[in-house]
Amino acid sequence: MDFQLPPYDLKMMLPEIFLFLWALVVFTFDLLTNRKKETAIGYLTLVGILITGVLLAFTGYGRGFGNMFFNDPMARFFKIIFLGAAFMAVGSSFGILKQRIRNHRGEYFGLILLSTVGMMFLASSQELLSLYIGLELTTIPLFVLAAFYKDDKLSVEAGIKYFIVGAFSSALLLYGISFLYGMSGTTDIVQMKINLAITHLTFTNIGMTLVIAVVTMLAGIGYKLGLPPFHQWVPDVYEGSPTPVAAFLSIGSKAAGLVAFAKIFVNGLSAFHGPEMLPNDWGQLVALMAILAMVLGNTVAIWQTNIKRMLGYSSIAQAGYIMIGMVTMNVYGLSSVAFYMFAYMFANMGAFAIVTVFEDKTGSTQIASYRGLSKSAPGLSLTLAIFLLSLAGIPPLAGFLAKYYVFAAAVEKANSADSASWLYWLVGVGLITTVFSLYYYANIIKQMYFSREDSPYKIPVSAPAMMVIAICLIGVILFGVWPEPILQFAGDIPASFGFIAR
Amino acid sequence: MFPYLALAAILFSIGIYGVMTRRNVIGILMSLELMFNAVNINLVTFNKFIIADGLSGQLFAVFVIVIAAAEAVVGLAIVLLIYRNWRGVKSDYVNVMKW
Amino acid sequence: MESQILTLVTFFPLLGAALLLLIPKERHDSVKSIALIISFITMLLSFWLYAMFEPLANGMQFEINIPWVASLGISYHMGIDGISLLLIVMTTVLNVLAILASFNSITQNVKGYYISMLLLATGMIGVFCSLDLFLFYVFWEVMLFPMYFIIGLWGGVRRIYAAIKFVLFTMFGSLLMLVAILYILFEYQSFAGEYSFDMLKLAQMPLGHQAQLWLFGAFALAFAIKVPLWPFHTWLPDAHVEAPTAGSVILAGVLLKMGTYGFIRICMPMFPEATVTFIPYISVLSLIAIIYGALVAMVQKDVKSLVAFSSVSHMGFIMLGLFALNLQGMEGAVLQMLNHGISTGALFLLVGMIYERRHTRLIDQFGGLAKVMPMFSAVFMIVTLSSIGLPLTNGFVGEFLILLGTFKANVWYAVIAASGVILSACYMLWMYQRMFYGKITNKENEGLKDLSIREKIIVIPLVLLIFWIGVYPKPLFDRIEPAVKQVMNQMGRSGTVEVDEDFSIKPVLADRTAEQELIVKAEKEGE
Repeated sequence: MDFQLPPYDLKMMLPEIFLFLWALVVFTFDLLTNRKKETAIGYLTLVGILITGVLLAFTGYGRGFGNMFFNDPMARFFKIIFLGAAFMAVGSSFGILKQRIRNHRGEYFGLILLSTVGMMFLASSQELLSLYIGLELTTIPLFVLAAFYKDDKLSVEAGIKYFIVGAFSSALLLYGISFLYGMSGTTDIVQMKINLAITHLTFTNIGMTLVIAVVTMLAGIGYKLGLPPFHQWVPDVYEGSPTPVAAFLSIGSKAAGLVAFAKIFVNGLSAFHGPEMLPNDWGQLVALMAILAMVLGNTVAIWQTNIKRMLGYSSIAQAGYIMIGMVTMNVYGLSSVAFYMFAYMFANMGAFAIVTVFEDKTGSTQIASYRGLSKSAPGLSLTLAIFLLSLAGIPPLAGFLAKYYVFAAAVEKANSADSASWLYWLVGVGLITTVFSLYYYANIIKQMYFSREDSPYKIPVSAPAMMVIAICLIGVILFGVWPEPILQFAGDIPASFGFIAR
Repeated sequence: MFPYLALAAILFSIGIYGVMTRRNVIGILMSLELMFNAVNINLVTFNKFIIADGLSGQLFAVFVIVIAAAEAVVGLAIVLLIYRNWRGVKSDYVNVMKW
Repeated sequence: MESQILTLVTFFPLLGAALLLLIPKERHDSVKSIALIISFITMLLSFWLYAMFEPLANGMQFEINIPWVASLGISYHMGIDGISLLLIVMTTVLNVLAILASFNSITQNVKGYYISMLLLATGMIGVFCSLDLFLFYVFWEVMLFPMYFIIGLWGGVRRIYAAIKFVLFTMFGSLLMLVAILYILFEYQSFAGEYSFDMLKLAQMPLGHQAQLWLFGAFALAFAIKVPLWPFHTWLPDAHVEAPTAGSVILAGVLLKMGTYGFIRICMPMFPEATVTFIPYISVLSLIAIIYGALVAMVQKDVKSLVAFSSVSHMGFIMLGLFALNLQGMEGAVLQMLNHGISTGALFLLVGMIYERRHTRLIDQFGGLAKVMPMFSAVFMIVTLSSIGLPLTNGFVGEFLILLGTFKANVWYAVIAASGVILSACYMLWMYQRMFYGKITNKENEGLKDLSIREKIIVIPLVLLIFWIGVYPKPLFDRIEPAVKQVMNQMGRSGTVEVDEDFSIKPVLADRTAEQELIVKAEKEGE
């Protein structure tokens, strides 16, 4: 057998290869250099992510490695989100870098980069095996990162919970994948789509097997996305892990789960979403999970007293909104999901960045300690308020357009076919729960602004954290007012799944 | 083909049951391994009976074994942390956070 | 410059807010004066707009239409007709007065307050300018949070409760509106083959009766909460009473008008058939609002909540006039929108002035104020009379036209509404009598100072406006009439309702053409 890799293929993978090597550099850098310059390694990581971004910009669309590795608009869009999330997570880690992770700086940053490499591979994989490897490369470093404060019981608890849930969901997903492999005889997703349709037409009795596959895979990805009833780990892990890691989890890991979902379900099983394919239709199951997510996430969040837990429940709810876009299966659906994730990245990473700097100074993540913050730190309070309002979907911030786009996709679909009119319910629940969500987001604003007492805290913001917050602020406002370029980019995504505008 | 698939299904179910009910974290890890191995049996079976030529299923199984090993390493490291923090590895200890 | 004048008027306050951000927050005086100057320039810009506006001309003027988010069919489409023009001018004037009125009463976090006021101005002017549904929605929401902060941060004792209630009520309504907007978008797509939020284009789209009813319902609920129509009014007294003076002025003067404006601009042209169907329901709710608001106002102990409930009553009049659906009723309603802004705004300002002196608003704490504060009492009298609708004041012209229009549409509605006028005279004059006449019963009232120069500057323009509109409203009608006629023509275009010679709207019931008959039949079978 001839095992020569054509140089063209390697060029396709250049950003991933570079980032992987850079992760190794970061690992070793900490061992070899003077330990007194503690922030140098953080900047090194940031530079690596930036260079990867530049490389990504110069890597054109195409495919390599025998159709196993695709660089399509979807891959590129989500790679930008992954890199953005990593960049902001690293940028907001400088505070804990000085305080809590002094002895394991290389590991911390290296693992974030490795996890990002996994996400990027995942986004490009067009084949079940490499998809699975990408997913594992994403999550295994995250297990370690979640448990990174070794002496903090909360962090260790977050680590073990995330580990058990992560491994369990991988096993579930794999079990489903093995059946898909058995039914289609291939691991290539596009080929699988064709083979499954043929098998379904020739053998009428694959229905039950398909149901097992769909249910286990849905459970597996549901765990990764934190969709109820597989959501219990989310608040615990968010509360316990180091705050930048929680932020990274909420964007990076969620976007990775979405990509996996899109590839397996929206692309691979696209034939099995529709009234004619009952009882194999996965769409209504997902819709049910989305409804649960929106209702449960938004209501339980109201009672939270810890801001990280609250953001955890809010992220459950946001996953619900995103899944509305996923189940629509039309041109708008996928691009709305991508845009939602993009807008969500800025708002959520920004909010977490502020929570991080607040925690670095005060050691508290209680909502009550934000009382009166607007007087001692007016700028920070205003930005946090803007991020929260964007999460709640208030125009003219980016979060509003994202929600709008998702709902528009669903209404479009519901309007186009009678059999899809159940999507109206989804939109209805989404809208009502949006009002709920406003309540708990506004509650933090209320604590910061409406309290007559003064906050004792003056919050210093380090330069990198300031940069992260500024980027997020600009993103939230700019892409709310001028979203056209991103929407155009996101509009290219559905084509790679074979959806064409009517 | 059916007996192999049934064996895998039984192993998988035992694994799920173990993860849900085990009170010892090591026990949970072992149950997880059972689940991964059930998947491996599935993959190899499908490769043998459905796709007669080609090795994709067995290849997949090899990768799963490797990744499961990596996962177990991380898992055991976290178990060690639990032992250090709580002086025991019962999952009941690890319940500081409640909603 | 001239083609972008609407952009300029809308975003000039935003620019000012950005400028304020740069000023150190300890320098209260410069913050105040810059906010005042910015709002003053905005007002001058709106006067310029008024001067350049061609009266008696049909159609939208100063139109701007630029693609904004082209991939979703959203455009930056602005334009004004007579109705929006007058509302914009009123907004900018009230904004100047509100800012001027808060110089002494706002002492905490001064910078944030003026930034909120300016942001609010941008949102309000934007709502009145936008001709794109999406843009309209964005501005509609933009003004929500500055108001939330104004009530919640600088308000009274129960301010947080009032602020959250205000936001949740409004948010609920506007989300319903969002669904309706989405639905219309896709209906239009299947009708015209392109995505568009353009109100003028959407008004030309024929919609089935059932769809119209639902869409009208969704929009009407959002607007009715804002107006507020009985029984959606419960947020209003809370918000009014707890808000600082300037907040109440803007709330009563402008925010409530956005609801009625929405009915004219969106509901009527787009869903004419549903509008006609809903006439009895909305009219009855308006009548209930008129009577209920007046009766509840009568028993209030607090002047501010009295004025708040009188707002409910007056807004009922405006809705009644609008849904008379004839020229007199609608013109009167539009004029009354301005009048209510002026006189209720003035009332809130005056109440704020006395509150600054005495730190109470309870009516029984006062009495005999006419002796110590003659100037104040005189102004209060004029504003009270304008609010009641005495001839020669602005209120008379509006209310008379509304009653005339209602009389033409339905005699009984007019009779009941007329009793509301009497009730309003009762509670306003009774309140005036208790506060200003008689002996000075409370010692604290003896040393009260009359209006200061700043306060005189605030009230004089309002008094002038009251008399000007009362005596010579023709320039306003020259601008309102073509706009109202245009709305009616838009309604008539759909073919399901018709406009007769003296401009009243009737549903087409008899003599349908054969073609329309077929459409109706097909619709019925479709259901």
